[in-house]
Amino acid sequence: MSNEKKLTEQESLQLITSMIQKAKASYHDKGISAILWGVTIAIASLLSYLQIELNFDFPFDPFLLIIVAIVFQIYISVKESKLNKVTKHEDAAINAVWLTYGISILGLVAYINIVPNVSAQLSKQEGWEFVKHYINNTKPDEILSPFVLSSYSLFILLYAFPTLVTGITKKFVPMIVGAILAYVFFIISCFTALKFDLLLGALAAIVCWLIPGIILRRKFLKLRNNNV
Amino acid sequence: MFKELDPILHSQLRLAVMSLLIGIKEAEFTFIKEKTNATAGNLSVQIQKLKDAGYIEVNKQFKDNYPLTTCSITKKGIEAFEKYVKALQGYLHTDTN
Repeated sequence: MSNEKKLTEQESLQLITSMIQKAKASYHDKGISAILWGVTIAIASLLSYLQIELNFDFPFDPFLLIIVAIVFQIYISVKESKLNKVTKHEDAAINAVWLTYGISILGLVAYINIVPNVSAQLSKQEGWEFVKHYINNTKPDEILSPFVLSSYSLFILLYAFPTLVTGITKKFVPMIVGAILAYVFFIISCFTALKFDLLLGALAAIVCWLIPGIILRRKFLKLRNNNV
Repeated sequence: MFKELDPILHSQLRLAVMSLLIGIKEAEFTFIKEKTNATAGNLSVQIQKLKDAGYIEVNKQFKDNYPLTTCSITKKGIEAFEKYVKALQGYLHTDTN
């Protein structure tokens, strides 16, 4: 492109339009992160469901798969940051939302693990305990370790939040639809037992991340092949 | 009365650079070179002119031991670009009448 060429007004407008389009078309989400998290959360939720349904225990907590996913995510993020030659205005905001989401998930995990034990200790200090009482006295009362009821519903609620923000900001309809479905699954999970909450959580991960991720990946590969 | 078109922007390569940068936060020099099909030397000269006018900011740093130049549009650059587009619209509107 030469800087010397004298432009007419029409040519100037055409140049502006084509360059803005080029800038827009230059940045594509590869979809890998969305697929990674969709698969991880869906598998962890399904394995947890199977533990309850089939009444057996894996040698590890299926949700520990998240640690493996975090390692992969760090590797993907570092690799992509090296390849990206353009930064968009919304990138920082979206990254901040996902970081906040990650911290919130960790906070919720800490809450679920800490609060029941602390509640049991505090109640003991006050001289009382949680007791499981069977209606009609079919079994004798049992001392109960407190737990957060239907806690997985809260995770489903959290899954929807960053997904909806990303979907609206990037005008990416599959993520908006996924987030809305996750909110529906959250409402349903308020009325179901934990094992079904886990199934709904797996579904939420599939609609929020796995399906949008696959759509993004296919778009990216199609564009890359067209450019070759 | 026609508004005069900004001579800094009314040049093919400089306008292309500004149009690329207007919708994004920042872009690497290699990206701008690739999208404008300009030579590195010519692009460097035009980027310097835009920088001297206060329309863009140029950051030079090192990434993995390689020099990395990134460009971003300034507030003054955005205002000048908007003014330029308005002036263009004025010309085109008059032409169609």
